[in-house]
Amino acid sequence: MSRFIRRISRRAIVQALITLPALSLFRNPPAPANPDEIDRDEIVEINGWILRRSDLA
Amino acid sequence: MIFDSYEGYKQAGFKPKVCILGSGPAGTTIARKLGAAGIPVVVLEAGSREFSDESQDFYRGKTVGDFYFDLDITRLRFMGGSSNHWAGWCRVLDRQDFEPKAWAPDTGWPISRADIEPYLKEVHDILELPDFRPDVPVSDDIRWVQLIKSPAVRFGEKFADELDRSKNIAVVLNTYATELIGDGKRVTGAKVWSNGQDAGTFSADYFVTCTGGLENSRLLLWSNERSNGGVVPNAAALGRYWMEHPTFEGGNAILANYSEFEVDASNEAFFSPTLAAMERLQIMNFGIRLIESPYPNVKKLIADLACTAPNMAEWMSSQLDQRLRCAAQLYVAWEQAPLASNQIELSKTDVDHAGVPRIELHWKKSPLERRTLIEGLKLFGTTLAQKNLGRVRIDDWISNGADYPTNEETAGHHHMGGTRMGTDVLKSVVDANCKVHGMANLYVGGSSVFCTSGQCNPTTTITALACRLGEHLGKVIAV
Repeated sequence: MSRFIRRISRRAIVQALITLPALSLFRNPPAPANPDEIDRDEIVEINGWILRRSDLA
Repeated sequence: MIFDSYEGYKQAGFKPKVCILGSGPAGTTIARKLGAAGIPVVVLEAGSREFSDESQDFYRGKTVGDFYFDLDITRLRFMGGSSNHWAGWCRVLDRQDFEPKAWAPDTGWPISRADIEPYLKEVHDILELPDFRPDVPVSDDIRWVQLIKSPAVRFGEKFADELDRSKNIAVVLNTYATELIGDGKRVTGAKVWSNGQDAGTFSADYFVTCTGGLENSRLLLWSNERSNGGVVPNAAALGRYWMEHPTFEGGNAILANYSEFEVDASNEAFFSPTLAAMERLQIMNFGIRLIESPYPNVKKLIADLACTAPNMAEWMSSQLDQRLRCAAQLYVAWEQAPLASNQIELSKTDVDHAGVPRIELHWKKSPLERRTLIEGLKLFGTTLAQKNLGRVRIDDWISNGADYPTNEETAGHHHMGGTRMGTDVLKSVVDANCKVHGMANLYVGGSSVFCTSGQCNPTTTITALACRLGEHLGKVIAV
């Protein structure tokens, strides 16, 4: 085990792990997909129907 | 010659070289081939000229496992056998059906489709078929295949006059061969039951059992038990690898142009996977049958589509205004994976009137088949959507993983396997010439020799194999 890990307490590690998910709240959400980039021919299965994405309203 | 009783036949003093048990498509075809070659042959038919409840009662049995038809309903015991209730659908097994598949154990035949192709012209004459057109690729995954709805030849009716006139063929009705007697190398005789009683032992140089895809196994299992293994010396696979074509309604399709799939008089079209698709998805063969939907069902289907894809539904609705035929019900029939555990056994408690144990059929559909059903419908739906030929809706019970319904077609009444063809005596009963392993004079005709079932109705392939066996046996006898 590295010296770095030995120097920090177990409590500090746990606190850090708890904090990690919260940090993601402050990140920028992913940009909405560019309509031009949506594959309208992609095959999707919805409610038992096998459709092209372009079929969806 | 046709005799209505065994007693009448005995008085005629006919001396047969070959004894065929059963007068269905296989038995009748082999008899006609041998008769034409000048070989005297007798056909013992357990039933009479017409259906009777008394005769059918010999076919009662029990099924263990998945829901299946009553065993006295799913076949017929009178002259012509089960051809008497055949619907008439014809197609020969695909070339790929004969090939082993790495993802499905115990697949592959010791012969290829090329081995039966020389007999197809004869088969077309027998079954009154036009030529098949080649498969049409719809995509890399799906083939539009042809099943021909034939006049459904009733072998008893069609060939009765010819058989009656023949000097080389004697058909003996109401004569039930209850068991074969063997010494481990040859069959030495068949015990006969006629007029409600034991009628002695019948002798011939060669025996061919053509009693059907259930009864062949029953006869050989019982004979082997009585002869202490003297009829099927290598019996590890006897009765095993039994197969059907499970058949269920799997969904619906809305079609952009129904007439694009030119259909026959029954307004049905059929689609199957390519070998590449089967290999990629690791599934068995299947056939999707399009049956035209009644108008109210189409409206309901479009209403359902409107909840998911309103624009698409609107377009389909306009299509419906223009043409009545725009939607189909999808019936899926698929190839079963050959499993040793799907097998015919002899009942330990129940016998027929002649004292022969009835059948106990153990039959279950496997997870591989369930995957074939789901993936098959998805494959078909994807092809229609990609090619803009239509849209498919898969039934909820399939999408939700529910049990198979018990109020549908269930299966095709196609009884295959039980005496399968092969080279490994532990996994097969007959060799590539349909001769029982280790026996010099015992052959098996019919779909019980099938190693795999493919997706299509078996009668065309049964008849082709019977032509081949008849020709082979004729050569063996001539030597």
